[in-house]
Amino acid sequence: MIEVEGSTESIKDLQYAAVTISATIIIFFVVYWIIQIDSVRELLELAYG
Amino acid sequence: MSALGSTSSTSYGKTITVAVLLFILLTFSFTDLRYQTWLRLYEFFLWLETTPFGVIGKTWGAVFAVVEAIHLLAMALLGGAVIVGDARLLGWLFIDVPAREILDKAHKVFVVGLTVVLITGIFMACGVAGKIYWLPVFWYKMLALATGIFFVFFIRRPLLRHPLEEIHPRVTKLIAISSMLLWFTVAATGRWIGFAGS
Repeated sequence: MIEVEGSTESIKDLQYAAVTISATIIIFFVVYWIIQIDSVRELLELAYG
Repeated sequence: MSALGSTSSTSYGKTITVAVLLFILLTFSFTDLRYQTWLRLYEFFLWLETTPFGVIGKTWGAVFAVVEAIHLLAMALLGGAVIVGDARLLGWLFIDVPAREILDKAHKVFVVGLTVVLITGIFMACGVAGKIYWLPVFWYKMLALATGIFFVFFIRRPLLRHPLEEIHPRVTKLIAISSMLLWFTVAATGRWIGFAGS
């Protein structure tokens, strides 16, 4: 009984941790690549008008 | 009773660890500590170029090219394992094969790919340490790589060891998407290093 409860707790903990880190990764990915793409676009504008 | 109490007190250990690490990372990134650490690492990077790996990498371009080829092949292996595992989690590929079988096999391939990527990556970094130190993209790659390793071995793999039907389907999809985005960033920033600062 204790093991089942421990396993349920463990999976809940892992799911919360997974959601936290996944959300951080997705936000970082979006922000980082938007900045990089915008930076390249500005450089291309400077180079070719 | 005490065992149950002990289980309850440590039940959110991983979530707390992730939250604390995120807090430390954000504090480090947005304070002067990041710049001070970067300055202190300069001597270390100069030393890396004087190591046998650094000397070989700088002296024999052919050796560097062969190691880089192995690095890229290992990266392809790693990327393939990530795509196969995550696409199966999302229900995009191999839906007629049990997910457990694919995830276990893909993880073994992933570990081999990651090991080779790390060994060859350290060799290559020693050869061009003086260059990569100045490239922001290198540091972003290291951040993504460290996050990826932490994510796989601390969160993703332990979670997916549980029966998949016990995991919320949205969580499964979320970790599959974030895993693909993360390893895409590792690969893309890695290739960017090759084109930057030369």
